[in-house]
Amino acid sequence: MKSLLSLVIAFTATNIDLYAAEAGMPQLDPKYWASQAFWLILVFTTLFISISKFYLPKIKDNLDNRENKIKEDLENANKFKEQSEQKLKEYEKILDNAKKEVSKIHFESKNILDKNIQKKKDEIEKKIEQEITKTQKEIIEIKKNSITSIQNISENIAANIIEKISGDKLNESNIKATVEEVSKKNIGKYL
Amino acid sequence: MQQFTVYKIGPEIKIVGVDLSFTNASLFMVISALVIILFLFFGSKEKKIVPDKIQLVAELFYTFVAKMISDTAGSKAKPYFPFIFSLFMFVLFCNMVGMLPYSFTVTSHIIVTLIMALFIFVAVTIIGFIKHGFKYLSIFVPSGVPVVLLPLITVIEIISYLSRPVSLSVRLFANMMAGHTMLKVFGGFVVSLGVLGGWLPLSFSVALTGLEILVAFLQAYVFAILTCIYLNDALNLHH
Repeated sequence: MKSLLSLVIAFTATNIDLYAAEAGMPQLDPKYWASQAFWLILVFTTLFISISKFYLPKIKDNLDNRENKIKEDLENANKFKEQSEQKLKEYEKILDNAKKEVSKIHFESKNILDKNIQKKKDEIEKKIEQEITKTQKEIIEIKKNSITSIQNISENIAANIIEKISGDKLNESNIKATVEEVSKKNIGKYL
Repeated sequence: MQQFTVYKIGPEIKIVGVDLSFTNASLFMVISALVIILFLFFGSKEKKIVPDKIQLVAELFYTFVAKMISDTAGSKAKPYFPFIFSLFMFVLFCNMVGMLPYSFTVTSHIIVTLIMALFIFVAVTIIGFIKHGFKYLSIFVPSGVPVVLLPLITVIEIISYLSRPVSLSVRLFANMMAGHTMLKVFGGFVVSLGVLGGWLPLSFSVALTGLEILVAFLQAYVFAILTCIYLNDALNLHH
């Protein structure tokens, strides 16, 4: 860079006639200083007034609006988020309650059913028992009946056999007594 | 050099024997101001929640300058925001308009930058005295300095304070003038070296143009931020 600069200076020195017509610094010529100062003050004052009165408030308003809007939106979003969370909690609560209710109903109905079944079972068992005792009684009756009829049949058979063998007709009450005696002795074997 | 020459446009205006004629310098001041006003007009015309391009740029400038002020001078400098914004925009657009070929760079004239710097210097000094009264003079007496050194330091501080307008104005003026002179010199090389040798200075010229655009922005920024720093000294007496 330094060698380049020296080259520039050398070149400028050799070509000084190139700039001869415009040599020197016009900046140091005071001819138009007053004019420049005057126009600078005028233009800058105008610019300053228009900027500070019109444009900056507008831009500031716009920036503030945006900031407020963003803040508001964020707040709203947070609010909605909270609301949704609350709703979710409520929903979960409802769901829990429903589940509890379901299990309760299930339990209760199961209980009722069990009870009913037990009741029916008991009833049926009772009936069966009754039926059994009744039948047993009937059987015993039938047995008793059959014993007397067997005795009668035996008496008749015995009387007939004796009549056929001996030709005598025996006293019926004797036969009956004998048969009864025998049957009493042996009834245990058959019943 | 021809590009820095000021010449009269239109009739001569003389008020109390002072020549206040409309010159090319005045013309480019007006052009720069008009460009700023047009830019800000379209940048703030539609109040969209989602900004379009020009609105976005205008708002970026706003937040850029606002941040610059709050970073360097704090919240007390808020009332001076419009001035610093205008100053930054004016210097920036004068520099940028000056980058266009055949245009005139307003800020390459010492008188222009000196008037702006002097205004800032005087305004800051007045603000300092209004805010702090004679205590503002304590800006020249830094705290924590050994008593032996105090007279010397105070003299140095006074000199540095008084040279503020000079340094502020010469910095901008010299940067702009030097940049344009460099461009001119390299342009002259391209012409004199011709088709055979002109390519190297031409490429330098292109690179320098990019650098100069950077410098144009940077010097506007430096001008504004130094104003903020001076304002900060006047508003918040730190020493």
